[in-house]
Amino acid sequence: MTDILRSWIGSALPDWLIVLIAYLIVTTIVLFYAVGNFILMVWAERRVIARMQDRLGPNRVGPAGLLQPIADAVKMFTKEDIVPRSADRWVHLLAPVVSLAPVVMMLAVIPWGRGWEPIDLNVALLYVVAVSAVSGIGLMMAGWGSNNKFALLGAMRAVAQLVSYEIPAVTALLTVVVLAGGMSLLNLPYLQAGIPLMGATILCNDPVGCSPLLYTTLTSFPGSPNEPVQVLDLGLGWWVFTPVGLLGFVVFFIAALAEGERTPFDIPEADSEIVAGYMTEYSGMKFATFYIAQYILNFSLAALAATAFLGGWQGPGVAALANMGGPWVHVAAALSAFYLLAKIWILFFVMIWLRGAFPRLRVDQLMDFAWKLLLPLALVNIVSASLMVSITQWTSAQWSGLVNLDGFASWQRQLIAVIVTAIINISATYWILSINQRPKEEEWDEELVVAP
Amino acid sequence: MNTLITILFLVFAVFILVAAIMTVTVKNIVHAALWLISSFFGVGALYLLMEAEFLGVVQVLIYVGAVSILILFAIMLTRDLEGSQNRQLTPRWWIALIVPAALFGILIVPTVMTHAWQLPPLPAGQPPTISGAQQIGTAFIREYLLPFEVAAILLLVAMIGAIVVAFEEREQRRRVLTLAEQVRLRRQQQQQVATLPEPAVSTVQPSEATGSET
Repeated sequence: MTDILRSWIGSALPDWLIVLIAYLIVTTIVLFYAVGNFILMVWAERRVIARMQDRLGPNRVGPAGLLQPIADAVKMFTKEDIVPRSADRWVHLLAPVVSLAPVVMMLAVIPWGRGWEPIDLNVALLYVVAVSAVSGIGLMMAGWGSNNKFALLGAMRAVAQLVSYEIPAVTALLTVVVLAGGMSLLNLPYLQAGIPLMGATILCNDPVGCSPLLYTTLTSFPGSPNEPVQVLDLGLGWWVFTPVGLLGFVVFFIAALAEGERTPFDIPEADSEIVAGYMTEYSGMKFATFYIAQYILNFSLAALAATAFLGGWQGPGVAALANMGGPWVHVAAALSAFYLLAKIWILFFVMIWLRGAFPRLRVDQLMDFAWKLLLPLALVNIVSASLMVSITQWTSAQWSGLVNLDGFASWQRQLIAVIVTAIINISATYWILSINQRPKEEEWDEELVVAP
Repeated sequence: MNTLITILFLVFAVFILVAAIMTVTVKNIVHAALWLISSFFGVGALYLLMEAEFLGVVQVLIYVGAVSILILFAIMLTRDLEGSQNRQLTPRWWIALIVPAALFGILIVPTVMTHAWQLPPLPAGQPPTISGAQQIGTAFIREYLLPFEVAAILLLVAMIGAIVVAFEEREQRRRVLTLAEQVRLRRQQQQQVATLPEPAVSTVQPSEATGSET
C-alpha cells in the first residue's frame, strides 16, 4: 500500500504523511472486513443454531433474514443508554472500549492473503497473546464499574477463565514457534506449502520435466536453507496433517473456545445463572460494543488457528497461479484470501455446532479440563515438536554425533519424524486421557454404607 | 523525524508520570490500579518508541496482562474499596520517603552520571544493533545460559507441580452421592434404626419412616 501511494503522490507529500495515509487506508479495509464478517456471523449463528434446534430463526427481514443484523443495529443505536446511578461512571463508560480495542488490534498481524498482511511484526505471535490478555482488564472494569453483583461475578469468572486458558493456548502456539523457528505470522503459510503429511519434502528430480503447476521453487526450505529447490507443492502441507500439528491444533482450538467464551465454556455470561455476566448493566451501543468485541475475538482467534495450523491462506492452486506471474499473482492473492476466509468460516461453523451440541461446563470441570488435560498434552507436544524439527533439520554435528541422519533424503527424514512424533503423541494422549478417566463406578455395596 | 520522536517521547513521559502520580494520590483503590495499568501501557509504548518490539510486547503481556489482573483480583477481595476515610499517609511516611530516595540515589544517579549518552554515529551501511528478539535470545543461550535455564526449569517445575496438585486433589475429595444413592442411604439408615431397638418398636415407626422419606 505504501509503495502504491508513493508511486502516485510521492512527490506531493512528505514521506511520513504517505506512510500514515497508507496505514490508515489499510486499517480501514481490515476493520470493514472484520465488521462485515461480524454482521454475517451474527446472522449465521442465529440461523444455524435455529436449524440445529429445529426452529426457523430470523427469516423476515430481507432474503432469508439476511438484513436482520442491520435491523438489530438500528435498534441498538436508538436504544436508551442507561447507566446505573451507583455505577462508577468513567469505568463503566471505558470498559467496552478497553475490551474492544485489544481485540481489534489482533487483526493487524494476521496475513489475510498471499502478500496481504497489514504489518509484519517479527514477534507477531507474542503480540497476539499479549494483546488478547489486555481485554481481561476491560471485562474486570465492566464487572466492577457496574456495581452489580451479577456483573462482578461474571467478570471474575471471565477473567479466571481467560487467565487459566491462556496457558494451554500459549503452550500450543509454542509448538508453532518451534516448527517455524520464529514468531512471525507472515512466514507461517509459506512454511506450510507442499502435500499433506510430507510437507514440502518431495523434490523435483528433473528440473526440466517438472510442471510449474505442481512444483514450486522454495528458497527457505527446511533442511537446505540456502539453495533453492523445486518441490511438489499442492498448497496442502498444513501442519494439522502432522501428529504434532494435529495435537497442537486441537489443544489451541479448545483453548480458543474458552478464550472467546463460546458455549461449552460460556460460564462468564451464563444467562440462566447470572443474567448476562459482566454485560448485565449495559444497554444500547455499549452492549453492542461488547457483542462486537466477542464476535471479532472469535473471528480473529479462528483466523489465528487457521494461520498457525491450517496453512493460513495456503491452498491448492495458489502457488501455481503465483508461479504464472504477471496479473495472475493478484488472482493468486484473491484465491488465497478466499481460502483463509473459508477456513475461518468452517472453524466458526464448528463453534456454532459445539454450541448446539454441548451443555455448559461447571467451574471445577473447566479448571480440571485446562490443567489436567490440555496443559499436559501441550507440554508433551512441545517435546514432539522439537523432535520433529531436530529429526528433519539437524545435521549430525548439531546432534553432536548421537544420531546421523545426513545420508537420508528429506522425505525419508520427514517420514521418520512423523512416525516418531506420532508414537509419542498417541501414547501420551492415550495415557493422559486414561488417567483423566473418572474412577470406575464401584458397585453400591449395601453392607459398607455407614451413616455420616 | 527526530523532532517527531522527541514530541512522542515527551507525550508518553508526561502520560506515564501523570498516571503514576494519580496511582498514589487517588482515594479509590480500584481507580489507583487502573491508573497503574495505564502507566504500564505508557512504559510499553516507550519501549516501542525505542524500537524494542520484543520488550514492549513482553511489558504488555507480563505487566498489563498478568500482574495487573492479579492486583485487580486481590483488590476486589478486600473490603472498603473507596472509603473516604482511607488514610493516604501512614504515620511513618518519612521512612517511606527516605528508602525510595536512597534507592533512587544509589541506582539511578550513578547510571545517569557514568553512562555514555552520546553514542558515536554508526558507520554508513551498517545496520544499527537493535535489541530485538534475536539478540535477546542469543544472549540467553550464550552469556546468560545458567540463569536462563534455572528460571526455565523453575517455571516448568511450577507448571508440572500445578498439574500434579490438581490430580492429587481429586482423590481426597469426598465423592458426591447421586440422588438415587442418597435415597438408598437414607432408607438403609431408617432400616437400621428400625431393626436396632428391636423390643422398642412402636406404632409410630412406620408413619415416621414414610414421613421422612417424602
